Amino acid sequence: MSRILRIDTKEKTYSFESPAAEFQALGGRALTSKMILNEVPATCHPLSQFNKLVFAPGLLSGSPAANSGRLSVGSKSPLTGGIKESNTGGLVSQKLARLGIKALVLEDRPGDDLYSIIVIKKDSVEILPADEYRGICNGEMITKLWERFGTRVGVASIGPAGEQRLTSASIQFADPKGHPGRAAGRGGLGAVMGSKKIKAIVVDDSGTDRLALHDSEAFKTANKQWVDLLKNHPVSGEGLPAYGTAVLVNLINEAGALPTKNFRSGRFDNAHDISGETMAETIEKRGGIVSEGCHPGCVIRCSQVYHDRDNNYLTSGFEYETIWAFGAHCLIKDLDDIAMMDRLCDDFGVDTIETGVTIGVAMEGGLIPWGDGKAAIELLKKVGTGDPMGKIIGNGAAFTGQALGVDRVPVVKKQALPAYDPRAVKAVGVTYATTPMGADHTAGYGVCQNILNVGGTIDPLKKEHNVEISKDLQIATAAIDAAGLCLFVAFPVLDHAEGLQLIVDMLNAQYGLSLTTDDVVQLGISILKDEHEFNRQAGFTKKDDRLPDMFKETFPPHNTTWDFTDEELLKAKTF
Amino acid sequence: MGSILFNAFSFLQKKLKAKNIPCTNARISFSDGESVDDVLKKMSIGIEDIEGVFVNGKIAPTDTLLRDGDRIAAFPPGTPGPYRLLLGIVKKNSPKENQNEG
Repeated sequence: MSRILRIDTKEKTYSFESPAAEFQALGGRALTSKMILNEVPATCHPLSQFNKLVFAPGLLSGSPAANSGRLSVGSKSPLTGGIKESNTGGLVSQKLARLGIKALVLEDRPGDDLYSIIVIKKDSVEILPADEYRGICNGEMITKLWERFGTRVGVASIGPAGEQRLTSASIQFADPKGHPGRAAGRGGLGAVMGSKKIKAIVVDDSGTDRLALHDSEAFKTANKQWVDLLKNHPVSGEGLPAYGTAVLVNLINEAGALPTKNFRSGRFDNAHDISGETMAETIEKRGGIVSEGCHPGCVIRCSQVYHDRDNNYLTSGFEYETIWAFGAHCLIKDLDDIAMMDRLCDDFGVDTIETGVTIGVAMEGGLIPWGDGKAAIELLKKVGTGDPMGKIIGNGAAFTGQALGVDRVPVVKKQALPAYDPRAVKAVGVTYATTPMGADHTAGYGVCQNILNVGGTIDPLKKEHNVEISKDLQIATAAIDAAGLCLFVAFPVLDHAEGLQLIVDMLNAQYGLSLTTDDVVQLGISILKDEHEFNRQAGFTKKDDRLPDMFKETFPPHNTTWDFTDEELLKAKTF
Repeated sequence: MGSILFNAFSFLQKKLKAKNIPCTNARISFSDGESVDDVLKKMSIGIEDIEGVFVNGKIAPTDTLLRDGDRIAAFPPGTPGPYRLLLGIVKKNSPKENQNEG
């Protein structure tokens, strides 16, 4: 049976334990959120010894199931002050699962200022001195660790931002090529890792057997259909591999929902310059990689490698939300400038959405001119140096807005809004407002069968049905996060009724269970209940579920406003 | 008589560019009584090439009649994002109808 590995970061010791009964059936986000609710005092300071950092592979992670290599990282967020689950690709999830580790929990914090790395292998766990790596950026960190431990190990690391315990600090993960292109980005979890003085975690599963499956034949059958479903769907099989998520730039712009110049309008005149189509052309021209997976076993392959003008590696995992945040939000139209900022974020270890929105808030405050990509790059570079201005930027949009006396600060629970305007796609706005995570598009990204059973077409510009759809999306997403599946499996699952059943079939075949699709929905609900309960104990109330006043402004081109009442929003949290 | 602003996205953009057909913020003239379908037909865009069409920022049927100054954008199957559902590209009550088109 899988075990829980606890690391005492103060005493530099570790222990394995069998999971308590209530943890046994859980994985991924279901497990991280349950453990944080049970074990972390909701009122503690997120950087104190009382907070914990939990890494949990999803339930299907480590198995041959396609697109199941996602990892949940949970903690009390230094950014929002509430519970956080940040989800990432990379190599760590599958390796932890194959090592039989259901959750890795970092506890307490050292009394001194010395860094360690944690090295987990088949027969050993070591907590090694690592002060030699102090100040090193994530790209170089992964290179050094691969040189030291081999190129087949998974790596999670923090950069200078995590070391400074900045509230937008991320934990970066090596992708299959050793670039720091994957991130548990949102919510400042890199600061929690920094507070515990863990510079990196190395996971080596060499020598382990394949994951035991209760009914391998049934698993194989379900997974074959699952792979076919993902590969034959035009979104997961064609659109995402060809253009990545950045294909959304033109579409969301066309829909009038691409927040431009700090959420003033839904159309950016230069959208074409920063579009997925332009990105793919540029990558091809410069000899980059148009399509690659973020973890082994991914058949969607929506990640990419973007080269600079001299055809050298610049960045990877160049996502729609990143391009929007540094692009349309800041009126920057040079894709190379945006790619450079993505690179810097990965290296320093800060969330690209939070940081891009923050740069826009800095422009709003007059610190640098709108649209000035070069000035934005120089400002961002300060985050890596420990410069006081860098500390302001690295603490996110809400902090920067306050520092600069700005009244247009697009955050919920102090977390920056992502790339979809809540007035033009209202269901996403409901998710921003009501998810326990703070403004987060991925919290309501999946689709499950119960949604398909709800009648009627949704108008994104009107209020009707949008609370219900957000609620259903949040439930489905929580369940997908628990399974360790990539959220983009939601597209084929939406279009094909058998999709959800195949997920259930694989879970049943792996664990010898007899779950139904309704059990999966109930799992999603129980995750959200745990998370809302933690936030309630932390002191959150309905006033924390409001969007800022700036969204009462009329939003062109569709001239809609944000018009939900507290009571209407509450329905998205009532189960 | 009038003109529209036309865009094509994703694979459709690539296809039209290969044929030297303007498809990024292109101005296109139309005659009275013409619809989106007529514009697509002139560009040899088949119905199988299209998952949806925006008319002035909203998903609309392809038989929508054109008006002077309309902003039209066409996109093929393969569009990610929750917006396929939220923008009404995929109708949430009819999954089976959408199975073939994506």
